[in-house]
Amino acid sequence: MTVNGLRTNVQLVPAGGTETVVFLHGMGTDSLASFYLTLAPPVAAAGIDVISYDLRGHGKTERPERGYTLGDFVADLDDLLRQLGVDRPVHLVGNSFGGTLAYSYAVAQPARVRSIVCIESEPATEVWAKKMSVILAHTVRFLQVEESFAWIEANFGAHHRRLARMAAERITSTKMAEEVPLGPLLTWEQVAAIGCPVLSILGSHGYQADDLDALTSLLPHGELHVFEGQGHSVLVEQHREVRELVLKWIGRHAA
Amino acid sequence: MTTDHASAVFDVVAELLTELVGDAEVLGIEITPDTTFHEDLQLESIDLVTFASILAEHFGADVNLAEYLAEQDLDDVIGLTVGDIARFVGERTCPR
Repeated sequence: MTVNGLRTNVQLVPAGGTETVVFLHGMGTDSLASFYLTLAPPVAAAGIDVISYDLRGHGKTERPERGYTLGDFVADLDDLLRQLGVDRPVHLVGNSFGGTLAYSYAVAQPARVRSIVCIESEPATEVWAKKMSVILAHTVRFLQVEESFAWIEANFGAHHRRLARMAAERITSTKMAEEVPLGPLLTWEQVAAIGCPVLSILGSHGYQADDLDALTSLLPHGELHVFEGQGHSVLVEQHREVRELVLKWIGRHAA
Repeated sequence: MTTDHASAVFDVVAELLTELVGDAEVLGIEITPDTTFHEDLQLESIDLVTFASILAEHFGADVNLAEYLAEQDLDDVIGLTVGDIARFVGERTCPR
C-alpha cells in the first residue's frame, strides 16, 4: 500500500482481538522480518491483531534518497494507522530505532498509544542525537572501506558480511545517516510527560549500559527489564524471553 | 511422512522458490535439500516473509512458516535450507 507517498510493505495478522500491536523494527540491516519471524506468530495466536511494516528505506518499502527525519517516520506511522482504520489506541513494540520512533509517536499522538515496549531504545533527545551522529558517521566510514567486509566475515561470519553489504547499500545511497539524528528532538520534559505505560528492555552491555535505569526513572509509568550479559541484539538473541515479556505486558495493559 | 510425499513436497517447494529468485540456474546453482536460503540463494530475511505468504497461499494457512521459524534458534534460521522448509511443509501436509 502507499503510505505517506511511499510504496510500503505491510504485513497484517488480524486475530479479531480487542488489542492491536504495531511492531517497529530497527535501522540499517533490519526489516519487519525480525518481528514477523519471532514475535508476530505468538502474539497473533494470543488473539492480538498484529501490524508489521518495513520502515521507509528498509526491506521491501520504497527507498527515497531523502526524507529520513524522525518527523517523516512519525508521519508514516500516523498515515498507516489512519489508512488501516485503526481507531483504538495501539501497543507499540519497537526494536532499537523502532523504539525511538515509538517514543516520538507517543509524544506526537498520545491518545493513539495504549502502551510502549522498547527494546534497546531511547527517546530522541539531544543525547541520543549526538550518540546516533557518532555511530552513523563511524558506520558510513567503516562501510566505505572494502576491507571492512572481509574483517566482518572473519570475525562474525558470511551472514553478517551480507548484512553489512545490505546496510552499506541502504545508508550510502540515501541521506539516512545525516537526517535521522535531526529529529525533531524531544526535550526531557516531553519525555517525562509520556503518560502511557512503558516497558524498557535492555541488555546490561547494550547501548544504555552506562545508566540502565536513567530513562525509566524519568517516565511516570516506566518499568525496566535487563538481560544480564546481553549486548544490543536483545530481540534476536533473547526472542523467546522477549515474547513472554511482551505477552504479559499487553495482557496487563489491555483496555 | 512417506518418501513419495516428501519428494513431491520438495519439488513443489523448489518450484515455488523460483517465484522469489527466478531461475536458480542464473545464480549458477541447482536447488537441492542442502541449498541454504540466505547464503546460496542470496535471499534476505524479508524474503522469508514473502515466501511464508507464498507457501500459505499454495498449501493453506496450516503451513505457517513464520510460526515454525519463531520457535527456532537464530543460527538455525541463518542456516535454513530448502530441505528444512520442505520437511516442515511435508509434516504439515502429511496425509493422515
